[in-house]
Amino acid sequence: MTFQQNAKRTLRKTMKAKTLDDFKQFCETGLSADLNALEARRRALARNLTYAGAVVAGLVLIVLFLMGRSGVQLFPGLLFPVIIGAILFGFITHLAGKGYVRQFKATIIRKIVSFLDENLDYSPHRHIPRSTFIASQIFKTAPNRYKGDDYVSGNIGATKIEFSELHAEYETGGKNRSRRTIFRGLFFIADFNKHFTCRLVVLPDTAEKLFGGFGKTPQSWNLTRDPLIKLEDPEFENFFVVHGNDQIQARYILSTSLMNRIIDFRKKTNRHLYLSFVGSKIFVALSYARNLFEPRLFTTLLDFELMREYFQDLQLAVGIVDDLSLNTRIWTKQ
Amino acid sequence: MPIAIVIIVPLLLIPVLIYNSLIARKNQVLNVFGAIDALLKKRYDLIPNLVATVKGYTQHERSLLEELTKIRAQALSGQISDDEAVELDNKLTRALGRLLLVVENYPNLRASENFMHLQRTLTELEEQISAARRAYNAAVTDYNNAVEMFPTSIAASMMNYKPRRFFEISEKQREGIDAGEHFRR
Repeated sequence: MTFQQNAKRTLRKTMKAKTLDDFKQFCETGLSADLNALEARRRALARNLTYAGAVVAGLVLIVLFLMGRSGVQLFPGLLFPVIIGAILFGFITHLAGKGYVRQFKATIIRKIVSFLDENLDYSPHRHIPRSTFIASQIFKTAPNRYKGDDYVSGNIGATKIEFSELHAEYETGGKNRSRRTIFRGLFFIADFNKHFTCRLVVLPDTAEKLFGGFGKTPQSWNLTRDPLIKLEDPEFENFFVVHGNDQIQARYILSTSLMNRIIDFRKKTNRHLYLSFVGSKIFVALSYARNLFEPRLFTTLLDFELMREYFQDLQLAVGIVDDLSLNTRIWTKQ
Repeated sequence: MPIAIVIIVPLLLIPVLIYNSLIARKNQVLNVFGAIDALLKKRYDLIPNLVATVKGYTQHERSLLEELTKIRAQALSGQISDDEAVELDNKLTRALGRLLLVVENYPNLRASENFMHLQRTLTELEEQISAARRAYNAAVTDYNNAVEMFPTSIAASMMNYKPRRFFEISEKQREGIDAGEHFRR
């Protein structure tokens, strides 16, 4: 057996991809006790919050009544108690839910992560640091509001990975203060399986989708980026625009097989996908419009659909190693 | 007067820009071609090491090893044309493919660290060479577009620039690569 076949065999051994059926079974055996305990806590919490809501609503009504009698103008005067009541309720929910969220992540999400691969470590409160986010060079604007959570790290086969949820924003100061989201979603980093020294960024293509081949010209005007790299795969060019500072190494990294894998991954996720290759690492940013890995207070935990969503979001990230074949170590980098 | 400047300056600038863009594209082609050359040379440099390693384990493969050494000597003699260089390169690819098939019969050799490292380096170089060829073809496309498209085509014909040929893989070479596929994956 050649070392490639050997490598493939170890690959299969380490990456027994977990199916949804596996996960269903795991929910019934490994998770059910925790789920039931948490569900009891959630119910009690939801009940208490309903009472608290009723009390707040009652108070608001009394205040409204008193204000109405003393002849305050209906608009906007009467609006204030309603707004204050809503804020108060939101605050109570946040405070009361905190412990529940913590327990949920520490048990359920942690167990799902180690179910996917026992070599993975989960830290609910950590995230990919801002400096790494900037070093990936995917986004040109440095964020000044930056937060994240649900950090996962570890080794999948020969490949070291880490990912977390991130929300990076840019806020302009001054009178017309406005906030713009630079990136929100899943940010994934892994050790790349080939040696390289160049810098390569793969971005979703907007110009070429609109203007077809003519989109190439505006792409090459982008002066803040490295030169454009034109690749020969038309499907890849339809989805992405590639900038890099070395024409040959860029194609060494983006081999025809990796391009196909990236196209497949893009189709599978159907989200905005950004990639970059810097400092012997691969960075993958996947846009999401919702909060990931957060529990819901007012819907039951015992619904498998909900668990499936957590599982699939996590599996998508962990699966990048397999999808992009990062465990193929047939080059000098081992 | 200012109107004249607005008209004349761009008219003077356009030929300069066209001229420079043609030169840049030609140089890009030459630059990548040089890179392919360097990578091929790197592959030739692996051969003595490979031959020495394989020799220690095998008795029956002398002729194949001698062929490899001969190809390398010819390629590095410096007295060959471009076409001969391509032909030698194809020969080398095929000979290496054969060697790696033969090695299947020598488990000790295959398992030796030295050989594994050589094989990894070789796989890496082959992939770099193929990347460089793709880059070359992209540079040639860019250059040919400029040479054949209006208005740069006018300047190109004045500068005596001709369309260049792509790096094509001949039928023979494809066979060589297929043998290589067997070990590459």
